[in-house]
Amino acid sequence: MDKHLYTVSEEEKYYFDLRGYLVVRNALTAEEVSECNAAIDHFADQISAYPDSLARGSSALQGTTSRQQLSGMLGWPAPYREPFRRLLVHPTVVSRLNEFSGPGFRLDHGPLLISATEGTEGHYLHGAGEPFSPATWYHQQNGKIYCRGITVAWQLTDCNPGDGGFAVIPGSHKTCEPTPPEIRSLAEYGELVVQPAMRTGDVLFFAETATHGTLPWKGKTQRRSVLYKYASRGAARATGKYFTPQARYGAWTDELTPEEQAVLYGPGVHQKGLPLLESDGQKTSIAEG
Amino acid sequence: MDARERYFWDLTGYLVVRNVLTAEELNACNAAVDHCMDRMLQGPDNGGTQGRSNSLQGTGQQTLPNLLELPHPHCEPFRRLLVHPQVVCRLNTMCGKGFRHDHGPWVSYSPKGTEGLILHGAGEPHRPYVAYHHQNGQFHCAGVTVTWQLADCKAGDGGFACVPGSHKAKFPMPAGVRSCDEPLDVVHQPALKAGDVIFFMDGAQTHGTLPWQGEAPRRSALYKYSSRTATRGGVSIELAEPEVYWDEAIVEGMTPEQRAVMYGPCSSIAQKLHLQVDADGNVVLGK
Repeated sequence: MDKHLYTVSEEEKYYFDLRGYLVVRNALTAEEVSECNAAIDHFADQISAYPDSLARGSSALQGTTSRQQLSGMLGWPAPYREPFRRLLVHPTVVSRLNEFSGPGFRLDHGPLLISATEGTEGHYLHGAGEPFSPATWYHQQNGKIYCRGITVAWQLTDCNPGDGGFAVIPGSHKTCEPTPPEIRSLAEYGELVVQPAMRTGDVLFFAETATHGTLPWKGKTQRRSVLYKYASRGAARATGKYFTPQARYGAWTDELTPEEQAVLYGPGVHQKGLPLLESDGQKTSIAEG
Repeated sequence: MDARERYFWDLTGYLVVRNVLTAEELNACNAAVDHCMDRMLQGPDNGGTQGRSNSLQGTGQQTLPNLLELPHPHCEPFRRLLVHPQVVCRLNTMCGKGFRHDHGPWVSYSPKGTEGLILHGAGEPHRPYVAYHHQNGQFHCAGVTVTWQLADCKAGDGGFACVPGSHKAKFPMPAGVRSCDEPLDVVHQPALKAGDVIFFMDGAQTHGTLPWQGEAPRRSALYKYSSRTATRGGVSIELAEPEVYWDEAIVEGMTPEQRAVMYGPCSSIAQKLHLQVDADGNVVLGK
């Protein structure tokens, strides 16, 4: 393996801190790509369309079909799971995530195949430095990067200039002003948005805090990108199996009031309906809505 | 949380709210502690100084753990403190809505002569899971400890001590401050009365405990809160094992290196999960 694939250069740190993303070229061999694609082909009947529109009404992002996706790779029967398990701790990933998220980084959720054919709609731009997101906070201090949420996207097919696919606003992980909706929908200031060209076998790292999304797919060939969502050790976005007070602590929590139970939920934000507390200083209650 | 409290919190990294508990609430908590003295855990002498301080030495610390699970009715006053209105209104501001109880609560019980706890936490190095951040008029503190005072703590008694402003430090803490052997006049021990409650930035602010010199034992109940997406310890430690956190098929047969990134969120187990890439490009678990 070429040493640059498992060594983080000062230029890469500069680039990631400045732009909020980084592409490492030729991280996978042709054989590794073939194994991944063959495994996906084997489970092709499980690929499904995203149930809602991700363009969210944006005319610039609209398409004729929905995004296609597939998950569960790490739990597939051998040998199909093996190439994806190797990607989980690929040297190119470990070396970069130790620098960008810190030792002890973890897989928060995924991996997820995102697939598109010509005409597939885009994905409304999301994420930003403002409003502050504790779950994905990007911070740099005394020469070290602390990125709480980082996505690693392996490219299993080419993504040429103008094809569409992953798009990002460089530098947006440091914004301190809210992102206007016209920019998120690409109605205005489209020049802020970059769609990095990537070749099969490249790997993309991006800060979840960076404003990112997907442009409609215009490529003649299928887009295939497998996304692994990592977090720093103490951060959580997915809520996991043990989220409720009862699951985490046991049946004795049934004795507690709803307000007391509310603070015993596990970490994470990927679950709707979490009871939120409010207090006027005299009484604690569950907030409405 | 009014403008004065917000200013004090941002400036110093801690906040004392006075006279929060009624005499009746205090009595209920103290009666529970008295009843459960046989559950008190005794730490080793000088376990809290880790052999790195002369100033903090003393007899071992005593703690009463698992307050929420004490037998009825003794758990009840501590369960009420968990979401006390004076806590909720401040943690919604300090940590953000959806804050959660991460670990604890326990009572720190210190007879005269009890050792201190070496100072820990600071703005540098940065620790994401307990970090303090302020942006556009809002606080974002990932870890806040709420300590209820069940007995008086006069000036000079010892007990909780902190370095005000240290949550914004950008230089490493000197060893003499950590040990309190050369405290540089920066270490502060707030005087507290029974019924007061103190909030402090756990991990972002430099804090610890001075040896207890009061005639009556120190009695403080500590609740460790986190913001919604931060995780430090408590039950998260046992739930973090890959085979517990994920469905079995996902992690079955994984290599130790693959398992290392499949642990659930929990900052206190980071040391054993440090992956490295060796000189030949192989991913290995670090020592």
